[in-house]
Amino acid sequence: MSQKPFLLAAEGLNKSFDGFKAINDLNFYLDEGELRTVIGPNGAGKTTFLDLITGRTQPDVGTLLWDDAKHDLLKLNEYEIYRLGIGRKFQTPTVYNDHTVTENLILSLAGSRGIWHSLFGKVTSLQRDRIAEILTTIKLSKHSNRKAGELAHGQKQWLEIGMLLAQEARLLLVDEPAAGMTDEETYRTGELLLSLAGKHTIVVIEHDMTFVRQISQGRKVTVLHQGHVLCEGPVDKVQADERVIEVYLGRKSKAA
Amino acid sequence: MLKQITHRPTAIISWLMAFSLYFVLVFVSRADEVSIRKTVADATVAASPAEQRALISSLKLKPAAEAVTLFDRWKAGEIFLFKDDAGLTTPVLLTGTAAPDGSFATLRLENGSPLLAPDGSPVRINPKTVEAAETDSGLRKVMKEVSDLVSLADPDLTKRIRAIQDSAIGQKLEKLPALLALKATEKNQSALRALDESIAIIQLRSPISSERVAACTQLGQLKSLPAYDTIKTILTEAKKASDGPTVLAAKAALKAIDVHVSQINAAGTAFRGLSLGSVLLVVAIGLAITFGLMGIINMAHGEFIAVGAYTAYVIQNLFATGLKLSPFGVSLSLPGMDLGAKGANLYFVVAIPASFLVAALVGILLERSVIQHLYKRPLESLLATWGISLVMQQILKFTFGSNNVQVSSPAWLSGNWTVNDIVFGWNRVFVIGFAVLIILVTWLVLNKTSLGLLIRAVMQNRNMAACMGVRTERVNTLTFAFGCGLAGLAGAFLSQISNVGPSMGQLYIVDSFMTVVVGGVGNIMGTVISALGIGLADQSLQQYLGNPVIGKILVLGAIILFLQWRPAGLFVTRSRSLD
Amino acid sequence: MIKQPLTGRLHTPLLLTLAVILVVVVPLLNAFGYISNFTLGNWGKYLCYGILAISIDLLWGYTGLLCLGQALFFTLGGYMMGMHLMRMIGGDGVPTFLSMVGRREWPSFFIPFSSFPFALLMIVFVPGLLAYVFGYLAFRSRIKGVYFSILTQALTYGAALLFFRNELLMGGNNGFTDFRMLLGYSLREDSTKRGLYIVTALLLVLVVAGCKWLTQSRFGLIQRAIRDSENRVLFSGYATANFKLFIFVISAVIASFAGALFVPQVGIINPSEMDTSKSLEAVVWVALGGRGTIIGPVIGAISVNALKSWASVGATADFWPLMLGGAFVLVVLFMPKGIIGLPAQIQGWIAKSRRAKSPEEPSPLSTPPEAIDP
Repeated sequence: MSQKPFLLAAEGLNKSFDGFKAINDLNFYLDEGELRTVIGPNGAGKTTFLDLITGRTQPDVGTLLWDDAKHDLLKLNEYEIYRLGIGRKFQTPTVYNDHTVTENLILSLAGSRGIWHSLFGKVTSLQRDRIAEILTTIKLSKHSNRKAGELAHGQKQWLEIGMLLAQEARLLLVDEPAAGMTDEETYRTGELLLSLAGKHTIVVIEHDMTFVRQISQGRKVTVLHQGHVLCEGPVDKVQADERVIEVYLGRKSKAA
Repeated sequence: MLKQITHRPTAIISWLMAFSLYFVLVFVSRADEVSIRKTVADATVAASPAEQRALISSLKLKPAAEAVTLFDRWKAGEIFLFKDDAGLTTPVLLTGTAAPDGSFATLRLENGSPLLAPDGSPVRINPKTVEAAETDSGLRKVMKEVSDLVSLADPDLTKRIRAIQDSAIGQKLEKLPALLALKATEKNQSALRALDESIAIIQLRSPISSERVAACTQLGQLKSLPAYDTIKTILTEAKKASDGPTVLAAKAALKAIDVHVSQINAAGTAFRGLSLGSVLLVVAIGLAITFGLMGIINMAHGEFIAVGAYTAYVIQNLFATGLKLSPFGVSLSLPGMDLGAKGANLYFVVAIPASFLVAALVGILLERSVIQHLYKRPLESLLATWGISLVMQQILKFTFGSNNVQVSSPAWLSGNWTVNDIVFGWNRVFVIGFAVLIILVTWLVLNKTSLGLLIRAVMQNRNMAACMGVRTERVNTLTFAFGCGLAGLAGAFLSQISNVGPSMGQLYIVDSFMTVVVGGVGNIMGTVISALGIGLADQSLQQYLGNPVIGKILVLGAIILFLQWRPAGLFVTRSRSLD
Repeated sequence: MIKQPLTGRLHTPLLLTLAVILVVVVPLLNAFGYISNFTLGNWGKYLCYGILAISIDLLWGYTGLLCLGQALFFTLGGYMMGMHLMRMIGGDGVPTFLSMVGRREWPSFFIPFSSFPFALLMIVFVPGLLAYVFGYLAFRSRIKGVYFSILTQALTYGAALLFFRNELLMGGNNGFTDFRMLLGYSLREDSTKRGLYIVTALLLVLVVAGCKWLTQSRFGLIQRAIRDSENRVLFSGYATANFKLFIFVISAVIASFAGALFVPQVGIINPSEMDTSKSLEAVVWVALGGRGTIIGPVIGAISVNALKSWASVGATADFWPLMLGGAFVLVVLFMPKGIIGLPAQIQGWIAKSRRAKSPEEPSPLSTPPEAIDP
């Protein structure tokens, strides 16, 4: 473990739904600037974990501390957590379907979230440049005036990542970005995430092992099983782990 | 209690009198069975009013209903004094029908046998020519005393208790002996209680202070409501007369009664709250299905209630003399079955299933035509169903007229049942019973039938159910129809306790939605608890504030605040699903 | 797909022309006798209803909050104006609604209403405060969707119960009537009536302009985002409750002004106006005209009420509720965008039938929106 303070520290988290233990005594530590991949079979609690971090769900017990324990995330609600710089891309693309691509980005731009600003604040030329830049990054420049609802599935995924970029989030929580994408789109998404690594801290939840190999590149991978961290380490080490093979990769490799 | 009373002087005298009266009564009645008629007959021809009074007074020893009947005829001028040629006056009653000359056959008052002339032929008299026996006020007073005693001995318990209670009116000490005598023979607990009460109320007027104190104590122990005002008067008088012990006793008695009154009020409030809660429950249970389970905001729910109520109205008339309707100017005449009184008592039994079915059919029609396009668009279902509610109201107006219609309820619903001074109206008992029945039916349908299983499956996960081969469309239709049918039942039920008119449903719509929202959408048990809770809160506030409207407003406010605390209602239907 | 709603193409010049017609031309025609006083009076009412409809649309069409309490705010505004007008009647003693409950004096809260500026302040303040408190409670606990509708309905119902009480000293079920003077002008004069009409038309124009500006600002973007996916907006860092509260209070005040102008024109205010069915009726105007637009609700309000004035007298009177209810069902089912959206809808049908002729063309629609909102 590194000596520098954790960006995010989760300890002893527990959450159950009607007796089902979605998160079971989970401990998770994240350094600033890391690109962490979280894998695990269905029902391992990956999405619930993101829900806990972003304030969508409250844990039964446990602590969730942010930025060297300066903030207790459990005491904050969704938008306050967001304002700390924690952005999330949802599993199913969640964009404002009735708004244009540009409007989606405008809504996500870093800056005041107050009513006054929303009424009288103008989009500055600096911000316009930033939006243009993001549009290029997510390859949607040609579609800037289309409604987000009209975009293809993969494009919506990118738009959502673009919204995280516009937010200038410190921590990007990316839930299954490759879901429903072609191989080529998946690869490009991987490239995009890799280009962001270092500038942002990123947590990626993924199923697709090819994709995981592409983005982890020797970085730490966390395996969740039944709401608990099963093991952590580089992807090769994780894939060699007996327990992981049993609960997850074993099944997966058989299927493949 | 007996001891407390007997060691006081007037009580002893009263007891002695009572005993002597009792013995006299027993012996005399054995000695002379027929003498009642004879005594009355003698009285009618007695020489002086004093003698008349004495004779009638003697009847107090053997109070019998027959005497009262005779008094009534006497007072009505139906006893005639026939003077025969010998100058002998015989009191007679008329019998049979008038002959062409206006004369009637006669019966001797003293034994009821025909009055015969010396030649053996029956005597006929013309009431216009023969003098009737008369009464004066003194005599009537004595008669009244006898009748009072007779009613005290009435074999009918209710009438006897009534008489016992009436005897305390005016607090006449002279009535004590009769009451004490009755007390010695009375077996019935309620009658005994009434006796104790009446005796004590009369004894409040006793000249002896210690006896008054005892009476006060007694009434306090009996928690006598009728004595309350009298004790208050006694208290004022005792204060004026600086009668310390009586003041204390009266105050204690009043306090005891006050406590009792507040207990009665609390119990009465709880009962009324329970019955109001039951009404809410009955009107809301259908909504708990359509809104709670299906997510359809059925603003026409109230109109389905009205449909049920009108169905009861139509059935009632079909059982009676039929019904003339003119929907949209088309005149329509429905023949009745003329079942008379039997129909009036029975029609409701038929109306209950009929109102369910009719409302359910209208529900199917509505679901197929409109609602099925609005699943997952709750706000729009709200608007569309409001439009439908306008249309339905207007159709009801066209068909049945804009005025309220008469739906009669069985006679027994208007009675009541009193336990420990708490009045339980039968209509409220009916309300509660009906609610229990409806909950039972709903629970059985949802949990014990295959339809219920399908309903629960579809409501939990529409797509999954569809994948499993459930015909979700059909289940939707049936579920909606079931909810509407329950609203129809509520209508049949409301037709018994309130007005039936085209807009009657509007009265219940806000309450119904509140009940379901507070209970937690999708949870029948929650609806039950919230209905009872709102009912109790409403009645308690009403009792406390003495103002129904402010109470209702406060309840609405409380509901809004309650939803602050539990936005999803009392019972949250939890699931792993994150949406 | 529709790129732009029709309103987007109703250019500013057209709107300005309409504004000039309503504010200047119509009153002039009335002054010269081409439009009867009766018609002008009716139009004054319609325009008030138009303002009310906009206030509903700001909440429902733009923010997704179907408020069934707008009739309450409208009526409250009316009552505030009514209190001022009652004070202006003059004469000795107190009006019947007070003497009836044994009052010889005006209650103290009536006294300051003699001042017109104070009444104006209350027209803003009373409904605004009520909306603030209610909205604060409702939005804080995240009551939304139909729950919000049901609760606002209950609020209106409760308020109506209260206003029906004579003890409230607000006239009980008779309300206020027999108004005489407003700002020194007799309400019976034709010129005063014309003046009131002009003020109403001006207010309508102002409200339209203000709402256009509001909905086109970033606030408008957030509003519509809340309507479509409130949770997503929360996860974009916006305190949605505050935004909803803001627009709720604004629209309550707009409705209140509409009510305040309505009362001197119709000459009466009573609690029957405070019915939830009145709110729902106003929702019909919005739905019919086209929600999510600014002009649509005004068109809806005017057309439905003009139709109502025509239909609810004489032989057709009994059929009016059938027509209104039926129209509502049809609009909800078949015209989700209302009159304003009709041309686009027809274009859509035409395009669809063309596509049907060339079946190979893939649908441009993407996968159905999988919103994170429940």
